[in-house]
Amino acid sequence: MAKTILAVDDSASIRQMVAFTLKGAGYEVIQAVDGEDALEKANQHTVNLVLTDINMPRMDGLKLLALLRKLSNYKTVPILMLTTESSDDIKAKGRAAGATGWLVKPFDPKRLLEVIAKVIG
Amino acid sequence: MAQIPDEHVATNFYFDRNFDSEAVKLLPGEYFVTNKDMMLVTVLGSCVAACIRDHRSGIGGMNHFMLPDAGGDSNNPLNASARYGTYAMEILINQLLKLGAQRSNLEAKVFGGGNVIESMTVTNIGQRNADFVLNFLKMEKIKVVAQDLVDIFPRKVYFFPKSSRVMVKKLRNIRNAEISVRESAYKQALDKVNVGGGEIELFS
Repeated sequence: MAKTILAVDDSASIRQMVAFTLKGAGYEVIQAVDGEDALEKANQHTVNLVLTDINMPRMDGLKLLALLRKLSNYKTVPILMLTTESSDDIKAKGRAAGATGWLVKPFDPKRLLEVIAKVIG
Repeated sequence: MAQIPDEHVATNFYFDRNFDSEAVKLLPGEYFVTNKDMMLVTVLGSCVAACIRDHRSGIGGMNHFMLPDAGGDSNNPLNASARYGTYAMEILINQLLKLGAQRSNLEAKVFGGGNVIESMTVTNIGQRNADFVLNFLKMEKIKVVAQDLVDIFPRKVYFFPKSSRVMVKKLRNIRNAEISVRESAYKQALDKVNVGGGEIELFS
């Protein structure tokens, strides 16, 4: 069965590019527009991997990460951050909150798929 | 692998006596956001600048960029030049949100994309830049409230985020050579880099 990825980004352009990439590789994709939307969808679906932006309205990606890690069924689900943020400071925060990995935008479709395969392959 | 050229914060501040205003000048590849009453200035050839502001709070900013010529199918949403353009726009929008702008209040004025660099006339990079920025804003549902795009003249753009006022001066022959040289150098730097994505780190 195809694995399901929850892709979270407030930018419709990025969501489109990410979904296109993931679907092309055979993944099921659920899209969310911010942290709150993602949290709701994470509760409704079984998700194998979360790929989330950080800077978003309503609830940002770091808050989402922290809240997901409190849910029993998301303790071990890989959560990758896909963000324009690259400072060591914020990376350390993400790591401490339980992020699995960090990808700095702009993303390269091929390398994104390689990382995902490595994490949930 | 070559590094992506980061979009940089503009640092060229000055006091503009004509406008009696604090000002910052943006060069190609730069952006600037502010919640102050000041003026953002840039000179565009084939590059484009998006002036985006929260119409409620007056928090606003500007970028100045062009798409790298990454080859491949320009209609493919995943082609490297579109990914770079999306990144340049996202940097600006993220900085506005960080200052407190609301995404749903954002509106845009867009300028540039002139067909001014002779060596670029074959592919008309100005048109391509203009098309990209309009498509991006449509996709993001950010309303375009003013635009002055393409044509053959360089432009000098003065943007006052607080009031939303923009003045555009078409530069009919002054310093075209200088603009061309600067943009060509920026374009070469962009084309040279492999738009292969930012760094990746796995924590476990």
